[in-house]
Amino acid sequence: MVRNIVILGGNSHPTLVESICSSLGLPACNRILGKFSSGESRCEIQDSVRGKDVYIIQTGFGGNGAKLNDHFMDLCIMISACKTGSARRVTAVLPLFPYSRQPDLPYNKAGAPLFNKPPSESGRKDYTFDSVPATPAPGVPRSTGLTNGAEITNRLMKASVANGSGPPSPMINGKPNGENYFPNGVTGVNGNRIPGGLATSTSQGHFTTHDYENVSIVGAFQARPGYKQWVAQAGTLVANLLTCAGADHVITMDLHDPQVQGFFDVPVDNLYGRPLLKRYIMQNIPNYKDAVIISPDAGGAKRATAIADSMGIDFALIHKERRPTKITERQNASMMLVGNVADRVCILLDDIADTGNTITRAAKLLKKEGATKIYALLTHGVFSGDALSRINASALDKVVVTNSVPQAAHKAQLGNKLEVLDIAPIFAEAIRRVHHGESISVLFNFD
Amino acid sequence: MSGEMANEIKLISGRSHPELSDKIAKRLGVEVARTVSLNYSNQETSFTVGESVRDEDVFIMQSTATGDVNEGLMELLIMISACRTASARRITAVIPNFPYARQDKKDKSRAPISARLVANMLQTAGANHIVTVDLHASQVSGFFSVPVDNLYAEPSFLRYIRENFVADECVIVSPDAGGAKRATSIADHLNTAFALIHKERPRPNVVGRMVLVGNVEDKVAILVVPDDMADTCGTLVKAAAVLKENGAKSVLALVTHGILSGNAIETLNGSVLTALVVTNTVPLGDKVDRCPKLKVIDISPTIAEAIRRTHNGESVSYLFTHAPA
Repeated sequence: MVRNIVILGGNSHPTLVESICSSLGLPACNRILGKFSSGESRCEIQDSVRGKDVYIIQTGFGGNGAKLNDHFMDLCIMISACKTGSARRVTAVLPLFPYSRQPDLPYNKAGAPLFNKPPSESGRKDYTFDSVPATPAPGVPRSTGLTNGAEITNRLMKASVANGSGPPSPMINGKPNGENYFPNGVTGVNGNRIPGGLATSTSQGHFTTHDYENVSIVGAFQARPGYKQWVAQAGTLVANLLTCAGADHVITMDLHDPQVQGFFDVPVDNLYGRPLLKRYIMQNIPNYKDAVIISPDAGGAKRATAIADSMGIDFALIHKERRPTKITERQNASMMLVGNVADRVCILLDDIADTGNTITRAAKLLKKEGATKIYALLTHGVFSGDALSRINASALDKVVVTNSVPQAAHKAQLGNKLEVLDIAPIFAEAIRRVHHGESISVLFNFD
Repeated sequence: MSGEMANEIKLISGRSHPELSDKIAKRLGVEVARTVSLNYSNQETSFTVGESVRDEDVFIMQSTATGDVNEGLMELLIMISACRTASARRITAVIPNFPYARQDKKDKSRAPISARLVANMLQTAGANHIVTVDLHASQVSGFFSVPVDNLYAEPSFLRYIRENFVADECVIVSPDAGGAKRATSIADHLNTAFALIHKERPRPNVVGRMVLVGNVEDKVAILVVPDDMADTCGTLVKAAAVLKENGAKSVLALVTHGILSGNAIETLNGSVLTALVVTNTVPLGDKVDRCPKLKVIDISPTIAEAIRRTHNGESVSYLFTHAPA
């Protein structure tokens, strides 16, 4: 029983809140958190927080009918409400930090290929620009690299469907059934009126799952000639908004970019999921010493080598070729494996899987290179878009994630393929230690 | 430097109310800037900028779509912050319907003052100036440390009444005591009679009957809704019934922000209200088709003129009493 501490849960992950509370041995704070009919968030905190140490748990995950931005606003409003309610200290606990992956524009020396070029379009090719905003991920090829990427995905899907090993592919004319995910997704393009109208796109699978709802819109968008369009980076903004709402402290886990920590003026404790994943490897993978740890892209190499080194396991890396290449049979991936995986168990290691593009493609490549069994270990399993069906149809044998976002729905679809590790004890311990002013660095290296 | 002058008006539109942005742009004789907003499949909002805003006078138009307030707000914050990082000279957030304006006081223990939070967030994102219409409480502008231009829809309403009714046949009615000030202001401008509906409260939390103070017999009763918002329209419909009982020929209601959430449209359709006059600060979508009683006044001339004047450093106060044609 910890005294003078209040755990306040958002709506994004009630089960995690519950298990953190039971680990700490105290009930969650009573609150009303919902929406007015106008769509504004409504928040009432029913227990006193005066002079208390308040921890607000809200993960950066929108799904199961709720929206990410709603959750984020709820969090800010709760923080602000506790502050005005004279809380001594307010700590925002964000197991998955929203907007932590900064999108960047894919760079391609050859210039951007223009998909669905409207016939009447007379602008210069190198000005029409490509950025189909995909969910940013290290090296996920967005529009520029798409020709290759989508090719692989399509083949992967076709292959598995033909084998009957997975559910039917959700891709219809390159437009997966987005309606399921975006019942009322709104998009808009401004200031871009191309004569001849928008491309009524029946694109041939040139879009990743990120883009399905935006095919015509994104295809029709053009920057002003001579200006290279760019995507706004929200990481700093989110950090500033949390501080502005009144957060005195932030606890999160496996930040995609550790630099995000520096966006804050308040202390940020970045917990690691690594020990959990490591323990899983040691306890659940037979002969793990003979396995190979794979980083699915160069960006994650550091993370993967850290575990590989500490466990004395071999390491391999998948490298994404960005150079435009002719598509031939051998190159069905513009991906290259650096290292040897033939006849060995592979452990793919990444911090986050969103659309599952990276890991499913990596799995396909590994299978081709002769891997016997493929595990994917991830801290955050967001699985948005058609990630679940993609993973079901992929060569992955086992996907291991933590419950930093709600996994119940994912588990229901993936069944035994998905293994969920509980992070509640780590967060509970971190909260307890932060509250008592004890060091939490031991949490970083317990094995 | 032919044609490419810095510090021009750069109008950027969010997704919530593109129609209004287009009208404002047309009126200003500018193009809406080339940007695109969308949501990633993980629901994070992404904002792509397709033209330079460096050293420009940026106006970002974002209203709040009913039911999607937080999405719109987050998008607005991202747009502001993007322009800030892209070296805009000045960023003005044009928010016709200020979100969370009604949550402006700590009316219960530990109730959030969300309006202040939104104000702080806008400033944190980098807004240098705010333009809005009919703030729920003008005190909300005190939450900001940057200038706030609170425009009024009243001149537009006055014009509407003058164009459609004879002043002598009208009575301006306030549906509660709190709105009396606003209602009398309109009555004075039109030089018409004034009436007030008084809510009797026999006990706390029990809404008693509504009593009309004043005479509306054989007149066009014009309800001036003080909340500036028609949300679920419950009170409004009750007030209309009282006026009808007291012999009003027809009952009109004036509301700035037609949020019309929940069953508002059905409530309105089934009411004795002759017409509900709203401005287009909030996107109305198909509500105009679903509710024949809904009349929409275009507010874009006022907003466009405010933008023009702000950009040129002219006084905006003229707009508080006059609606540009």
